[in-house]
Amino acid sequence: MGTFEFTEDHEALRASVRGFVEETFPETEVRRLMAAPTPLERSVWERMARELGLQGLIVPEEYGGAGAGAVELAIVLEEFGRRLVPGPFLSTALATLTLIGGDPAVTADHLEGIAAGRVVATVALAEEDGGWDASGVRCEAAGEDEWRLTGTKSFVPDGMDADLLVVAARTDAGVRLFAVDGGADGLAREELDVFDLTRRLARVRLDGVAATPLTATGDGSEFDRFLDAARLAVAAEQAGGADFALAMAVAYAKERVQFGRAIGSFQAIKHMCADAFVDVESARSAAYYGAWAIAAGSPETAAVAPLAKAFCSDVFFETARTNMQVHGGISFTYEHPAHLYYRRAKSGAQLWGSPTAQRDLLATRIGL
Amino acid sequence: MTETAGAAASEEQVRAQVAAWLAENWRPGGGGPQWRERLIDSGWAAPTWPVEWFGRGLHRDMRRVVAEEFTRAGAKPVALDVTQLFANTILAHGTDDQKREFVRPLALGEHRGCLLYSEPGAGSDLAALQTRADRDGDTWIVSGQKVWTSGAREATHGFLIARTDWDVPKHRGLTFFWIPLDRPGVDIRPIHQVTGGSEFNEVFLTDVVVADSHRLGEVDNGWRVLQTALGFERLIMGAAAGGSSEQRRRAGRKDTAKADRQSPWTRKIGGADYIELAKTTGKAGDPVTRQEIARLYTLEKVNAWNGMRARADSGRGAASPLASIGKLAMSRIVHTGVKVTTDLLGTASVLDGDEDPVAAEVNRSSFAAFVTSIGGGTDQIQRNIIGERILGLPKEPEVDRDVPFRDVRKARATRRFS
Ligand SMILES: Cc1cc2nc3c(=O)[nH]c(=O)nc-3n(C[C@H](O)[C@H](O)[C@H](O)COP(=O)(O)OP(=O)(O)OC[C@H]3O[C@@H](n4cnc5c(N)ncnc54)[C@H](O)[C@@H]3O)c2cc1C
Repeated sequence: MGTFEFTEDHEALRASVRGFVEETFPETEVRRLMAAPTPLERSVWERMARELGLQGLIVPEEYGGAGAGAVELAIVLEEFGRRLVPGPFLSTALATLTLIGGDPAVTADHLEGIAAGRVVATVALAEEDGGWDASGVRCEAAGEDEWRLTGTKSFVPDGMDADLLVVAARTDAGVRLFAVDGGADGLAREELDVFDLTRRLARVRLDGVAATPLTATGDGSEFDRFLDAARLAVAAEQAGGADFALAMAVAYAKERVQFGRAIGSFQAIKHMCADAFVDVESARSAAYYGAWAIAAGSPETAAVAPLAKAFCSDVFFETARTNMQVHGGISFTYEHPAHLYYRRAKSGAQLWGSPTAQRDLLATRIGL
Repeated sequence: MTETAGAAASEEQVRAQVAAWLAENWRPGGGGPQWRERLIDSGWAAPTWPVEWFGRGLHRDMRRVVAEEFTRAGAKPVALDVTQLFANTILAHGTDDQKREFVRPLALGEHRGCLLYSEPGAGSDLAALQTRADRDGDTWIVSGQKVWTSGAREATHGFLIARTDWDVPKHRGLTFFWIPLDRPGVDIRPIHQVTGGSEFNEVFLTDVVVADSHRLGEVDNGWRVLQTALGFERLIMGAAAGGSSEQRRRAGRKDTAKADRQSPWTRKIGGADYIELAKTTGKAGDPVTRQEIARLYTLEKVNAWNGMRARADSGRGAASPLASIGKLAMSRIVHTGVKVTTDLLGTASVLDGDEDPVAAEVNRSSFAAFVTSIGGGTDQIQRNIIGERILGLPKEPEVDRDVPFRDVRKARATRRFS
């Protein structure tokens, strides 16, 4: 299966996810969930696992998953991104990435729970200063056989809801990832007020909370590999969001009439849309290329991951902005969905590493 | 050997046929006119052309197979069915007599063409051209001025589009010709370019007599022939690495080739080896430089991936809109690239010539970026095409639509640049 060669199975997966998303998450439902006490009812979460097997998509078969890889995950995330599906799918997928390939004694139950739709999981990386790489981790891990974590994590996606939290913490030997049970003693969470209500965030305080290590060493290489996978997963979601925002802009440009003609006939509008088209297609290429690179275990992943995260972030943000501009005054109303894409573009761009930080990392990784 | 000719031939069959032909005809270190002639007559120089017209009648997917076998044998692959836009167009619209007369000398390189399209008054709006061709028995009398004609001094012939009916709207009264340039009344003058060279020219046509046998397609139906020719031109650009070799050719092949050998400042498609330059100029740690180079690197990569994706899509039989975005994307890459090299060079970039040969090179390449953003359809026209043909946005109202060309407001038809 060469890069960019989507198979019939891929197309079938895309079609079934698109059908599910369009049916289950129309805009009215997205808005209802934005105001609901939890980002997604557990009944829907379970149905997603039972009927479509989405949470188990990348979980190995021995734990009840489908054993699929980064390309399939990218397809699902792109489709979710198009319709701003709220809820912990991305968070849980990122947590799943930290579990795959780990010690079965630690990970088996978690993976089975995720695949079955019983478990919502997330990854707690950043802290109050909002840094996303290992150097920003201050949360302390103490112990040898029994580990205890103390510190404060912030910007934790779906942190209020998660049954399982994967937490980055500092040991004497460097930063490692730990599994923390959502019900553990000493764990306190508070919901953050957020700009993008389709992506809820929490602050999580840990006070001597029992934890199980997931990564073997603290040399940072496993942490980096996980971050690269996370960056590419987010990039795919952003490519989907950008694609849909452009489709909205184009549809409106064909339909809205001013000065006796459709506004899409004005070059000021048409050329914005044309530039956005070049960007959005390029973003999709970057996300797909990255997915294939990671699926193949290619060393190129190290450069492609920050590249795709930075590029897809910028493209989504710029396209969401274009979409608002094309819509004129109506885009300034809460009723209209254009702002929802703008909000989502901002949260995706800043979480898991800003475009500027990602570009600097890319520069380092290409030899600068 | 029994040969399965035509579109039905399998990859293995084609491979075997090419290999057998090469084994018999190619000698390492060969080449030259005799080889060229044998190659043309064998059909392997243009695998998708019809068997009766110097081809093998193969499907276009077989081009790759043929090229691979040539490379394997150590012979330079030739794909006239991609690169020979003149012959391609003549095969698409010419009569059998014209194909017989015109194609072989083009394939052999004895005839070389140029494109007599643009005029001082007609560029993006090519259909507004005012060069006239008036019928006189079996001949046409052509008068007018063409401009920006790349390679006209090296050419023996040109594709000419001229107006043959002034009383119909602009697209409808045009006729297309393949004209010899060695005729009385053809005056070719080099134009001094910003790059220092003079690859393009202005061509004055004064009562030039062209035989009707040199007309391609129907009278007044030249716009259609032109679309075919433009399509073949895009095919060349698409086939070139990064989609820009044709544009480079237009900017001046020799200049670019020399620069390619010379230095990291203008080596790659986007212009330079930025990483090496940032290091040698001591700016590798500068945060702004790092951002700019990472951005540029990203633009180059995503454009290459778009190309790969377009090929994967078309391999599955899906027409890919990605093919249409490469030129606009490349324009952004080259213009961003020269901005980065200029920033790296700093104040020295105000120097030129022998005073600072590196600056001279960067300055020249910064002009060459306009070849991509203006030549072959400007960035603005590309955006119109993407907006209208891909996204389906409505066209602008056209004030000259349905108006006889005679009554349309026109730009000045002639202007001397040399
Ligand atoms: C290096 C080089 C080589 C060339 N070689 C050849 C050749 O071999 N043969 C040949 O025939 N021609 C050749 N050309 C000509 C080239 O095709 C034209 O320059 C090009 O199509 C633009 O036309 P123009 O120069 O008349 O500019 P104009 O059409 O006058 O454009 C001027 C400005 O107006 C903008 N504009 C025009 N129309 C629109 C519109 N509808 N919407 C928005 N903006 C618009 C353009 O984008 C541009 O910014 C060459 C050009 C270059 C630079």
